Amino acid sequence: MMIPALEFDSHSAPSFATRLCAIAGAICLVAGAVLSPASVWPYLLLLSYALVGLGVGALSFIALQYIVGSGWAAAFRRVPEAMIAVLPLGFVGLWVVFLAHPSLYPWQGAAHDAAPGLAWFKQAWLSWPFFLVRAAVYMALWAAFGYAMLRHSRKQDETGDVSHTKSNIHLSAGFLAVFGITSFLASVDWIMSLEPHWYSTMFGWYNFAGQFESALAVIILLVVWLERRGPLRGVINEAHLHDLGKLLFAFSTFWMYLWFSQYLLIWYSNIPEETVYFTARLRGWWMPFSMASLLLNWVVPFVVLMTIPVKRNASALTKVAVAVLVGRWFDLYLMIFPSQSPDGPVFGIWEAGMTIGAIAAVILVVRSALGAANIIPKGDPYIRESLHHH
Amino acid sequence: MNNRYVVSLFEDEHDLLAAVRTARERKLKIVDVHSPYAVHGLDAALGVRPSWMSWACAVFAVLGVSSMLFFQYWVGAVDWPVNVGGKPWNSLPAYIPITFEALVFGGGIGMVLTFFVACRLYPGRPAHVPDPRVTDDRFAMVLEEADAGFDLDDVRRLFSGLGAVEVREHVSEEAP
Repeated sequence: MMIPALEFDSHSAPSFATRLCAIAGAICLVAGAVLSPASVWPYLLLLSYALVGLGVGALSFIALQYIVGSGWAAAFRRVPEAMIAVLPLGFVGLWVVFLAHPSLYPWQGAAHDAAPGLAWFKQAWLSWPFFLVRAAVYMALWAAFGYAMLRHSRKQDETGDVSHTKSNIHLSAGFLAVFGITSFLASVDWIMSLEPHWYSTMFGWYNFAGQFESALAVIILLVVWLERRGPLRGVINEAHLHDLGKLLFAFSTFWMYLWFSQYLLIWYSNIPEETVYFTARLRGWWMPFSMASLLLNWVVPFVVLMTIPVKRNASALTKVAVAVLVGRWFDLYLMIFPSQSPDGPVFGIWEAGMTIGAIAAVILVVRSALGAANIIPKGDPYIRESLHHH
Repeated sequence: MNNRYVVSLFEDEHDLLAAVRTARERKLKIVDVHSPYAVHGLDAALGVRPSWMSWACAVFAVLGVSSMLFFQYWVGAVDWPVNVGGKPWNSLPAYIPITFEALVFGGGIGMVLTFFVACRLYPGRPAHVPDPRVTDDRFAMVLEEADAGFDLDDVRRLFSGLGAVEVREHVSEEAP
């Protein structure tokens, strides 16, 4: 069988409106930082952390496919590969938050009181220079693994050499081991330390579940978009969508499992310094936010994707993917904002503009990354298997 | 009453798939296909409809969930209320893990029992296989001589040409 030699046409692509939205988002960020810093800085943290989550989620997806030796996803591997390109965007956003507004973290600058016994460790861990060094190390590790795997994958298009796949299997194993630790620590550093007196040993895994679930949703959206628009037409079939739908179904349930595991233990043991986290999130206007998060991240995917025909239906699958992404926003908002504005959500014009800008920036970055390589990894040894997936 | 069946044995799964497709095109009645492992695409070639077993699983799972929820409510809030850490007697979050296990247990056990009933299986039932080697390296397609126009020689020629290593008639009350 001939492998279609398709190229993604990047010239006709990014519309003027998308660029305008990205620029408007940047203006909203600057204006908001001056006019309403109390909500715009944590919101920048939210968006940047969401983008980093998409990038590392996509990278974990690729690593997972390599390490289990699966072939079905090879045909659209360029999609998660392109999503790695949003990592630098998220990194820049995080560094802007860290350097321009460090007082977001209440433990920063002042000696903080911690639980006796472990106080010395907490003092050492939550010291500003150490925090910044750790952030740089996490980001450098993820970027290095992502770059190396991307390079091997693209080089394989020219050479068709199986050794690139073998190198990527080793890199994937290394990445998953490194990521298992660093993703946990990064979520603790960047998000959990917003409330330094509260802690949960579930927090890191819970964050990973959300990252992977949202990355899957974006992969589904991009794959369906490319299939409809042309470059992946005749390459993606219902069986690919079925498998992506299964993964989304499974990982949304995994997310719920971790959410409930965290909730149940805190609810049951009823220790005030732990329950404070959930009482803040189940009060007033935060209550509907919590319900929306559970509904969109789990109930909707679980109920809708239960049967086989829905998982094979592109338009149903994209609707669920959009619901999951909105749920991801609620999830992150609930992690970050109750510590910033305990009385209720504050969402204004700047935040709305920044959200649109971030979406536009992701579209621009992913588009240019898709255009930078063949849309199909034609040198991959699994490509025929993937094109015949049924 | 005895029925007449025709058993065709194949050595290759692709020959089997081709034979199944041909048999369906000729409107021959396929009783069953035996294979040592799951052959990819066989369900589609046979035109097997999606199994109703998943609905049985759902019914048993709901049964497990509702009975376990009721049991915990009855024990914890009606028959023997115990104050655990100041929680209300009827505390739903505390019931969830056990209810989940009852869901898995009810669905799993219920589905196995449904499968046994649907296949009329029970311990000690003699095995019906058309050839012992279908558990090893052979594939068998079993046809029923359903109408008077069934021509055994014609069928034998047809499937031998499609790669059958053996085509034989089998007369018995139950399909082999």
